[in-house]
Amino acid sequence: MSQKLVYVCEGGDCTERGSGDLFEKMRELLLARDPEEAQVRVRRYPCFGGCEVAINVTVYPDKIFYSQVTPEDLPEIVENLLGDAAPVERLTGAVQPDVEEMVWMLLDSPY
Amino acid sequence: MSQVDLEARIPNNVGLREDKRLLRALEKWQPAFIDWWKDTGPSDFNADQIYLRTAIGVGKGGWAHFDYVKMPDYRWGIFLADPVVDRKIHFGDHIGESIWNDVPGEMRNRLRRLIVTQGDTEPASVEQQRLLGHTAPSLYDMRSLFQVNAEEGRHLWAMVYLLHSYFGADGRDEADALLERRSGDEDSPRILEAFNKPITTWLDFFCFTTFTDRDGKYQLAALAESSFDPLARTTQFMLTEEAYHMQTGENGVGRIIHRCAELMHAGEDPRKVGAIPLDIVQRYINEWASASMDLFGGEDSTNAAESFASGLKGRYREGDGIYKDPKALEHSYKAEVPEGDHMVEKEIPLRRAMNALLLDSYVADCQRIVSRWNRDLERQQIDFRIVLPSKRFNRHQGIYSSACFTPQGELVDAEAWNSQREVWLPSQADRDYVESCMVAVREPGKFANWISPPPRGVNDQPLDFEFVKFH
Repeated sequence: MSQKLVYVCEGGDCTERGSGDLFEKMRELLLARDPEEAQVRVRRYPCFGGCEVAINVTVYPDKIFYSQVTPEDLPEIVENLLGDAAPVERLTGAVQPDVEEMVWMLLDSPY
Repeated sequence: MSQVDLEARIPNNVGLREDKRLLRALEKWQPAFIDWWKDTGPSDFNADQIYLRTAIGVGKGGWAHFDYVKMPDYRWGIFLADPVVDRKIHFGDHIGESIWNDVPGEMRNRLRRLIVTQGDTEPASVEQQRLLGHTAPSLYDMRSLFQVNAEEGRHLWAMVYLLHSYFGADGRDEADALLERRSGDEDSPRILEAFNKPITTWLDFFCFTTFTDRDGKYQLAALAESSFDPLARTTQFMLTEEAYHMQTGENGVGRIIHRCAELMHAGEDPRKVGAIPLDIVQRYINEWASASMDLFGGEDSTNAAESFASGLKGRYREGDGIYKDPKALEHSYKAEVPEGDHMVEKEIPLRRAMNALLLDSYVADCQRIVSRWNRDLERQQIDFRIVLPSKRFNRHQGIYSSACFTPQGELVDAEAWNSQREVWLPSQADRDYVESCMVAVREPGKFANWISPPPRGVNDQPLDFEFVKFH
């Protein structure tokens, strides 16, 4: 079982700002270092609702909510996921807290 | 990445050229679909050029090709997400077994019913919305409506492909019946009640795309987990398109609220200038949110348990491995249910509570949207707050349907409920007023007075872009 899940939002705003390309690039970077997805899996997510601060990317179960992510930010994010680097702080905290809570609530199933 | 055949009469990535029998069957169904579209799709705009997004592939950006097209010439195609190599069943009784590329005999009827029920909603919504183009508040919104309609038509194609491919003569009959039923028809209505209500105003349309299409998101997400791989791959791709529909609704209601708040902030009475007051918006939200919650079905459901156990329908994002118990045998779901004049706690075995779990995910998503609208009201210094009605309010399906509840979820008697009905749900006067606001605006870049412009046009076009070119 993989340890982490990375979700790239593919809601309308995120898509218009290039989340499709961002997803592909993220997957490429992760698979280059973790070809079996043993540590991290990357998936698309229909919409987080943080549209004002697109493109949004989340990391679960670490509960990191990245916003306004660009392709240039991805190597740093990947370094946190697969290396020793800390989360990329400058990309966190932009989304409304209730949006973030909703996402973790959906993923934190008691069942 | 699968090969997309864009030159075929029916664009597809399912190798239709190699399956002559299926190709012939679908090519026979195609003219009936076009006739249905012309008869019951958007009225009077079939000769106009619409700036539409057309799916041309399943890879990155493949579904986001924009160009002008006359709606009957839209290239409705059949697209499945690419298969996952060696995918195994990941929930229910068959966990660990290989996924199915054909329908197991014993699941045939259940699976067909799931596909037909989902498929029936697609043409139904197009029928419900067929007259809205005439009162579009802008060319931008008119384009959005037709985009949603065209993509619901494509989703119908997706379900019809499954029926034709995997269910033989029965499937073909069901595919024909999808074009025969009509939204609101007394003799041959659509299957689900929310899809038989006419959508006559844009406030209804935006509420529908916010709340009812969002039910679709969760149903499709549950089917995207299916052990029947063609269904899982079909619905995965549909979800990509559905995101646009939900955003159309969320932004649409948000723009109505924004416009009203803007006028109130400026000291104007929204009613005197043809805008829609917030209390009316709230009543429409109460109506559409509660009707959409009914679409999830009973919270305690043996049907839902069997669909989960047999691997046909999973929980939201089941495949991501976020659930502790993939067989759902070890837990129960606690719900407060009415018993006489009070509420009692009931434990529902988890498998039987699959609809309730999916509904809870939906409610959290809706709450997030309402919070977004309220942040805008706060920014504009307006005291009014939109409230998402309790999942107990105005229910006609499930464990709350036998009693009356306020929008806050308090149990009340029928007399008390009826006395407040027009405070909580739209009255005829509300409907008449909203209808009176619906005036067509067709000048590029202009918007009706009851709705704010969006921040930008679709596909990064300017707001005064000619999204619809009239013939």
